Order: sequence, then C-alpha cells, then structure tokens
Amino acid sequence: MSRNLHEINFEFKTENPTDFSGEFVHFGVVGSGDMEVILEHKDLGGAVRAKIVTPVTGYDEVWRRVLERFVIDTGVANASIEINDNNATPVVVSLRLRQALSEID
Amino acid sequence: MKETRKWDTRKTDYLERMSGAEPYVNNGKVVAAEDTINVLEAVIRPFDRVNIEGNNQKQADFLAEALIKCDTGRVHDLHMVQSAVPLPVHLDMFEVGIAKKLDFAYGGPMGGRVAEAIKEGKLELGAIHTYLELFARYFIDLTPRVSLICAYEGDADGNLYTGFNTEDTPAIVEATKFSQGIVIAQVNKLVDKVTRVDIPGEWVDMVIESPKPFFLEPLFTRDPANITDTQVLMAMMAIKGIYGEYGVKRLNHGIGFNTAAIELILPTYGEELGLKGKICTEFALNPHPTMIPAIESGWVKSIHSFGGELGMQKYCEARGDVFFLGPDGTMRSNRAFSQTAGHYACDMFIGGTLQIDKYGNSSTATASRVAGFGGAPNMGCDAKGRRHPSGAWLKCGAEFTSQSEYLGPMPRGKRLVVQMLESFGEKMVPSFVDELDAWQLAKNANLDLPPVMIYADDLTHILTEEGIAFMHKCQSLEERMAAIRGVAGFTDVGLAAKPAETKALRDKGVIKTPEDLGINRARANRSLLAAKNVRELVDWSDGLYDPPARFRNW
Amino acid sequence: MSSKWENIQKRSFLESNARTRAIGLVDPDTFTELAGPRHRISSPHLPLLGEAVEFDDGIVTGVGFVGKKPVFVASQEGRFVGGAVGEVHGAKLVNIVRMARKAYDEMLTANPDLPEEKRPAMVISFETGGVRLHEANAGLLAHAEVMDQFQDCKGKVPIVALIGGRVGCFGGMGFVAAATDAIIMSQFGRLGLTGPEVIEEEMGKDEFDASDRALVYRTTGGRHKYIMGDCNVLVADSIAAFRIALHEILLKPYCEIAAMSCIGSLEKIQSQLKLVDLCVETAPKDARDVWKSAGNENPDDLTDMPLDEFLKTVKRLTDRC
Repeated sequence: MSRNLHEINFEFKTENPTDFSGEFVHFGVVGSGDMEVILEHKDLGGAVRAKIVTPVTGYDEVWRRVLERFVIDTGVANASIEINDNNATPVVVSLRLRQALSEID
Repeated sequence: MKETRKWDTRKTDYLERMSGAEPYVNNGKVVAAEDTINVLEAVIRPFDRVNIEGNNQKQADFLAEALIKCDTGRVHDLHMVQSAVPLPVHLDMFEVGIAKKLDFAYGGPMGGRVAEAIKEGKLELGAIHTYLELFARYFIDLTPRVSLICAYEGDADGNLYTGFNTEDTPAIVEATKFSQGIVIAQVNKLVDKVTRVDIPGEWVDMVIESPKPFFLEPLFTRDPANITDTQVLMAMMAIKGIYGEYGVKRLNHGIGFNTAAIELILPTYGEELGLKGKICTEFALNPHPTMIPAIESGWVKSIHSFGGELGMQKYCEARGDVFFLGPDGTMRSNRAFSQTAGHYACDMFIGGTLQIDKYGNSSTATASRVAGFGGAPNMGCDAKGRRHPSGAWLKCGAEFTSQSEYLGPMPRGKRLVVQMLESFGEKMVPSFVDELDAWQLAKNANLDLPPVMIYADDLTHILTEEGIAFMHKCQSLEERMAAIRGVAGFTDVGLAAKPAETKALRDKGVIKTPEDLGINRARANRSLLAAKNVRELVDWSDGLYDPPARFRNW
Repeated sequence: MSSKWENIQKRSFLESNARTRAIGLVDPDTFTELAGPRHRISSPHLPLLGEAVEFDDGIVTGVGFVGKKPVFVASQEGRFVGGAVGEVHGAKLVNIVRMARKAYDEMLTANPDLPEEKRPAMVISFETGGVRLHEANAGLLAHAEVMDQFQDCKGKVPIVALIGGRVGCFGGMGFVAAATDAIIMSQFGRLGLTGPEVIEEEMGKDEFDASDRALVYRTTGGRHKYIMGDCNVLVADSIAAFRIALHEILLKPYCEIAAMSCIGSLEKIQSQLKLVDLCVETAPKDARDVWKSAGNENPDDLTDMPLDEFLKTVKRLTDRC
C-alpha cells in the first residue's frame, strides 16, 4: 500500500454558474481533523476543478459529494479549488469552503 | 399446627459476622487500615451480594484494593452490585475469583475488560442498568449484604461526612443497613467531630482511615479549548431551534463537549436571542465548570447535583443561591434524588451518543466494549408517571402525532429527549448506521438485549450539523426513517435520502436546517464562547474555581 | 480592510492562527507575505511518509511596518505538525532573518545617517516543538543556520521573540528563542528545551509528571519565566497586548534592546552564574521555592491571581540577566 499522500481530482459543471468573483483566496490551517483551501479564478468554460491532497484513502465518493454540494449551493464557476486535508470530516470541509468564499467580501 | 419459624435470621447472621470482626474493632467503630483485609474476611461470606461504592466521581478504592487481597478460600464468587466499574481493580476481582456475578450501570474505561471477562466466562452478567434503576433494586432484589463505602470524614461513633461528594452513599447505606447488612466506610480523615452528619453512626459498622484520600475523577470537566467550531454551530441550533422554541427552563445536560458548548454560549448567543430567564433556569446537573459563565451572568436559579466535581467545591459553597448547601455551608449532592429530579421534574434531556440506527435507537456500545448507560436512560425517556404540566412538556406533547393512536383525543405532555451528534465521528466513523454495534455486543457478551441507551420511541429530536429532525412530529416509522436520513449528512444512511422527500419534510417543519432557523453559519466559531480556556473559567469565578492540575493551561 | 485589522486586535493571541498574528502585529494593512500559500512551497518529504502538507509549511514570513520601521516577521503555526521545523519551514525562517539583515546593510550603505526609527527589525512568533522529526536533518540544520543569521544581525537588527501559543516554544527552538534580544510572553506561553513528556520518559514520573500541567506551567510557563527573568515582558492574551509591548521595545534605540538579552557580555554570564549559585544554595524542589527566594511571601497565590495583580505585586528574581 502506498504511503504517499493521496491525490483526488474532480471537475464539476453547474446549471446556473456565478463566476468566481475573487482572484485568489486562501483559508485554513492543516491541523489534525482540519484542512486548508486555495480558491483561484481560472477560465474553465464555467466549470470548477478540484484537487484534494489527503492522507486518508477510501473516501473519494464522499469528497465528490461534499464538493458537488458546495458547487451547487454556491453556484461558483470558473474556479480551481485546491485542498490540503488532514482527516477533516465533511462538516469541517463544508465549513472551511464556505469560510474561504466569504473571505472575498 | 404452625411450624416455629425464626424471623430474625438476618439479624442473627449479622451478629455472627460482626463477632468475627470484633477483635479488630477498637475505640467505638474504628478499624486500623492494616486490619482491613482481616475484617473483610471475617464479615463476607462466599456468594454474598457486595457493593463497592463508586460512581462517576468518587471511588472506595482502598476498600476495593483490600477486598481483592482477601483469601480466595474464604471470600469467593461474590455477586457485585455496584454503580460503576471504572477502576482496573474492579475487573481484577473477576480474574482472581473473588467475584463472579455483576449488576452495574456504567463501565467507562473498563468497558472492554467487562466484555472480555464475560467472553472468558469469568464474569456472569446480571444486567446493565441505569443508576436509579439499580438503586431501586437495592431495595427489592439486589440488596447488598455488605457495602464498602467512602466518605471525607468519620468519627469513632461511625458518623460520616460525605459532603460535596455525597453521591450514592445514602441510597447504598439505607438499603444495606435496614436489611441488617454490614456497612464499612473508608474515610480520608478520622476526626473527633464530623463537619456535618450525613450518615448517622448507627447505620455504619466500621470506619477505617485510609492511607490516601479516596479516588476522585473530574469526569464532568470539559476544557473549553477543545470545543470546535462545529460544536458551536450545533449549540446555536440547539438554543435557537429547541431551547428557545419550546421555552425549556428545567433540564439536564448529558456529559460531553456538545453540551459544554451550549453552556458556554448562553451568556453570548443566548443573551443575543433575549432568552435569559426564559430558558435554563433550573438544572439537575453536576457542577460543570463550563456552567460558571452562565451562572455568573444570572441565567440560573437552581442546580441540584448528582455528585461533586473536583475543583468546584469552593465555587459551589460561595453560590448558595444556586446550589444545595447544608446549614454548615458545604454542598450536599445526592444521586438518587437528582436522578429522580431528572426523571420527573425536568422537561428536557439533551446529550450525545456514538451511534444511531436508521430507526432512531441510539447506543454508546461497541462490539467489544460494554460501556454501560450511566444516568442517560433515566432522563432520556418520557416519564409516564408525570402529571404536572409545563409549557415545554405540553408543547412537545401537542406535537406528538402518534399520541391519539394510544389515547384517543386525550391530551398529554411529552418530555423532550434530544440526541446531539455529528454525522461522522472521529476517524470518519459514521454515526448513523443500518444496525447498531450493540447487536454484535449482545452476541459477543451473551446479553439478552442489545444495550440501547435511548430508544426510538422516547427520542423526540435528533440534532446534527445538518439540522434538527423533529422525530415526534413524524406520522409513521417510514416518515421517521426519512427524517433521520435527512439529517444524516454524507453517511451511507444519509446518502440514501431522496432530495424530494427531505425537502417535503423541511416544508412541513419536520426537519429544520441552520438556514431554516435563521442561523448564519459564518458566526459559528469559538469566538462565541464566553470562556475559551480553563483560565478564563477561573477568571469568571473570581478565582473560586480551582481546576485539577491536568486542566491548567497557565 | 482596516476593519479586519481592528477585529484582529481584540482576538486572543492563543486562539489566533500564525497568519492572523503576523497581520495584527504590524501597522494596519502593511503586512506583505513572502513565500506564502500562493507559492505553494510545501514539504517535499512529508508526502513520502503519507503525512498531510501545508502550502506555507507551517510558517508565515513577510514584512510590514511599525511607523517608519520595516519589520520582518516570522510566525510559526503550532497547529501544523506542532509548529515543528522542517526543511522549507526552516529555510523560510533562516531567509527572512537574512533578508532583515540584508535590508539593514543595503539601507545603511545607501544612507549611513538613517535614523534608528527607520532601521529594520526582526520579530519572531515562536510556536513550535523544535525539530520536525520527519525531516530531522534538515530541521536541525535550520536551527544552526538561524543561529548563524542571529550572529550576523548583532549590532544591526534587533530580534524580538513572542511566545503565546498553545504549543509553547520547545526543543532546539527553545535555545533559538533564548538567543534573541528580547522575549515577550503571555501566561499561556511556555518556553523550555526538552518537552514535558520527554522529561518524564527519561527521568520517570516521580521526577516530572507531564500530566501534571500545573507543574509544567510552573516550570516553563509565562508567569514563572517572568519571575525568573527568562522573559522580559508578560502581557495579556490579545494580539493588541502583544503588539503594544512589541512596539514599545522596537521604539527603543538598538543598544537598549540588545541590553535586554541574556547573552553578549561577561557581565551577563556572571549574572547567570549567580543564579546557579543560588540554585545550589537553596536547592529548590519546586518553582514556588524559587519564587519565595525572589521575595514573594505567598508563592502559592501567584499562579491563580489575576494577571494585573500579578504584574503589580510580583517580585522577580532578576531583570533578564
């Protein structure tokens, strides 16, 4: 079994996208049970790309659902999401993503 | 012709046992520490029902250590009836054959060893109880013959001062002594005159000054530094969506960080919502240090405690308008009375749990740990004997849709029983499951029933980071299961939710999300805590709270 | 944006992350982060061990202003691998100190009469357990290199240490902190060398019980360090309190700041030796014995009394050396 960090990649397209209004935003600390995220503007034809780097394996589907829910709820588009994770539960992930988004205002 | 039957065999047996101990009892009822094993061997018979006092906080540890050293030729196969088995020595009893059978309520850190001992055939389990239930059986069919108890002070006449940590003592002693049993007490200090007579000397047979003070566990202390943003969010939901909504004044908080978070945002978020005086006025509760800011801010009228909490003694004594103090000025706790208060005089129980199944049954048992229940089942259930009304109780009863199926049009109240938990626990272990681990435990440990802490028919609300499910508002088992799925987040149970179904429940008010409650998630962070670390609790208490060494951060 | 800086001021230093501290310690909206998350220079070693990484490798480095003074800032993040020093973290720390010294050299070459108030300074918020064991060699090397940079700063750039995070400042970073010119602590901060658990492991529980946190704080905590003279200033737990104490020091002339240090002259070494003599003479069993010899009649009261009262009434063993 690989002892490397696990990398997961997703791409999402949304129905009613709102262009990501920031240019670059960073939020969070990679503490135990927590994560950090970079949200960056990227011309992706309305899509959102996500890259998660995490020590935990076997939860790809949960990550997909959490990120998909975030993208659908916020309508964010043309954005790249990069996450360094350290065992954050879905509730923490959702919280940090939303907190990152609110940093823009 | 009537056969002559002796009707005082309990008494004669008592006298016979005590005569064996007589050589070691001097100066009234005093026994020297080094003679403890001798007296135990003298007064205990094989297969006796024996109680060792010990609950969440205090433990008669010296007497337990002495009991296990008894000659197994003279003392063996005892039936232990005791509230808790949290110390290793409690389980060692079964390893060496001193004890054989166990009836108890709380296993705590020894839960794994209990399961193991059952599997290995060394421990025969009577049953797991809730505290008040066990105390009740002390007076019916589990009466101890010999009880080993602990107290702060004792005098030569046997009078005991149990003070701040009175806890289970009165219930144990009354059951034992009034069935002609033997009561042996370890005390921290032998004195000429006890500070206050909590147990009269006539009810005590022997007093032993132990070399070290009895063990005290600060089980109910939660360091605010460990409270997470998520716990703050859930606390906000609880206060706005339940406490404020129903006007819950009289309640009990189960142990844990979730309730500690609620306690710490009363003076901030609760104040903001204008709820002071409308909620949280009377508690059946141990002296939680995290309650200090709310008490100091004038939220609380009265607290009756099951036991004491290490470090809180001076604070409680200085707050006589809130805590129950004797005429001498020191606090008096009483688990039996507090549990009764929690059952009949409180309108809500709120606490955490490890697992909830898709039907709404909740348990802290895992496949290999018999954790026990503590007091939760007693307070986390609807009190069917209750007759007096209160606003919260009536409102919950009015919302209970299935009521008419049993009562026809007869109105009745219902206690709010709330389970609070995140959809995923530590290490991404899902909290919502198809089948409780308790089933597996029942198999592994030969239990008649899977150990369930709170049953689905008593549960009224489930609170997760996703929202609140109002279980009692549901019309059917199917609807309840859909409501659970609606708040079970990204667990397998939650992923089985149909979005249209969940939305319909939200429209009906059976599920309320933070957004439905008007809670801004961005505000859910630690800055809302009235105290963020133990030092700040000390400052709030004007230096009266004296935290145990392990909690100090300055 | 200034309202963000304002909000930061009231926050608990203990609770704040490294970035918030860095931003709040300098003048409003003057902090510019260098080699930050935007550059994504995370540890090349941790992934091989399956360990989570951070875009800034656990340290925030940058520069801001205090009045007209450029202030170079390093702020360690205790929540990421305990703030421990790995290769990138160490390189950032070494290079920000070097940058401060280079700035001094260049500015003074361009303008030899540059007034003190415009000369650069270095501030380090320590929150660390020392060497990151996953990257032990690199971490250890960084300790040596940063001490080297400190030497180059002598006579030029004052270096002030701040210690108020949950992890404290331990391991090799303990002596790095001690090598700075001045140390500001809060009562929640701790400064030591060997961590409490390691002491217990090596010497046994009877010698030092790491779970006895009261003992740990009596031995390494802010209040004790203040009495001992191991830190110069003890402040309340807010970003504002640290900032104000920091600015007060930075406004002093260089020679006065340097004089606050523990090392750097024969006189200071002799002060240290006097303490050793005192130790041999009194054979203290506990910090409270030391507090008593410093002239505090009721040492037991010193731990719990409110901070203001403590600062007003406490007798210190010595000004820092």
